[in-house]
Amino acid sequence: MKEMIKPTLVLLVICVVAGSILALIYYKTDPIIAENNRIEEENARKEVLPLADKFEPVCKNDNILYYEGSCEDELVGYIFKCSKYAYSSTVKTIVGIDTLFMITGIKIVSQQETPGLGANCSKPRFAEKFKNKNPETILVDKDGGNIVSITGATITTRTVTNSIREKFNKLKQKFNKK
Amino acid sequence: MKAFGELTKGIIKENPVFVMALGLCPTLAVSTSVNDAIGMGAAATFVLLSSNIFISLLKNFIPNKIRIPCYILVIASFVTMVDMVMHAYVPSLHKSLGIFIPLIVVNCIILGRAEAFASKNNVGKSILDAIGMGIGFTLAIVIIAVIREFLGSGTIYNISILPASYKPMIVAILPPGAFFTIALLMGLINLIKNKS
Repeated sequence: MKEMIKPTLVLLVICVVAGSILALIYYKTDPIIAENNRIEEENARKEVLPLADKFEPVCKNDNILYYEGSCEDELVGYIFKCSKYAYSSTVKTIVGIDTLFMITGIKIVSQQETPGLGANCSKPRFAEKFKNKNPETILVDKDGGNIVSITGATITTRTVTNSIREKFNKLKQKFNKK
Repeated sequence: MKAFGELTKGIIKENPVFVMALGLCPTLAVSTSVNDAIGMGAAATFVLLSSNIFISLLKNFIPNKIRIPCYILVIASFVTMVDMVMHAYVPSLHKSLGIFIPLIVVNCIILGRAEAFASKNNVGKSILDAIGMGIGFTLAIVIIAVIREFLGSGTIYNISILPASYKPMIVAILPPGAFFTIALLMGLINLIKNKS
């Protein structure tokens, strides 16, 4: 009996100590992480739609559908977010389009793809590929389209491309209503 | 002199990667760029150092039967700490290392040193052992990364070395390139060892 109690108690003590330390660090770092993410999102919006200086969320039932970017009260474009599971993680992308529905810029806001391969999708060179393209018709080169895939990361490239196209097609009607 | 031996043995004589063949998964996976390799090496070294210290302090308190779960618990806690602190203070490095930070938990160098060294030696020796092993691991992963990044992207530490006309040897940054590189390096080290 004694042989069972001691290991259990030791494990319990270690768990409690480790758990409390982690809770403390989480409590300290969580607001910083949230703030970092917020700043990053705001910078990302400016990056994908550089013409706009004001961003207004358009909501439906408390969910943000997309953002309208405007400059001096004139609508200059839209920003939407899309995400899809790629090779080893969900890749979240934000996309800026102008009023003629051409892509003004994209930015990968979160991904955990393979470092050195799929992770290259967060580099500016990748975003360049999408500039001034019509989101309705983008496809990767292996599917016969106009987006050249990253070396060794076709799946990541295809996922990003498809997620942008699918989300755009879903939102297109809503943009047109205005 | 003996303490110095504990420190240096991990760097060459008992190099965790090239000689003991431990921790190959992160070594192969995160050696596509020197920048990531340094980050991975530093993070793993920190976890190794912290877990070695704690395990050698707790070695008399932990019953033999449940030592492995205890080690894993200590290691996992430190990894989670590193993950959260890096996410808060160095978000860019955290982003580029991605999934490999949580995977430090299963880096067998750390559990291996806890079981083989820290659970049998005092704190001072364990610290030296962890630093030595950490340097050995970092050195190994950086050497592989230098070779792979140079061949696969024509750069070292994101600085272009080769002219733009160089067509990168893409296989070097793909998984097979990691196996080729590590095999050639291990062979080279064994050759040198056998000669002397």
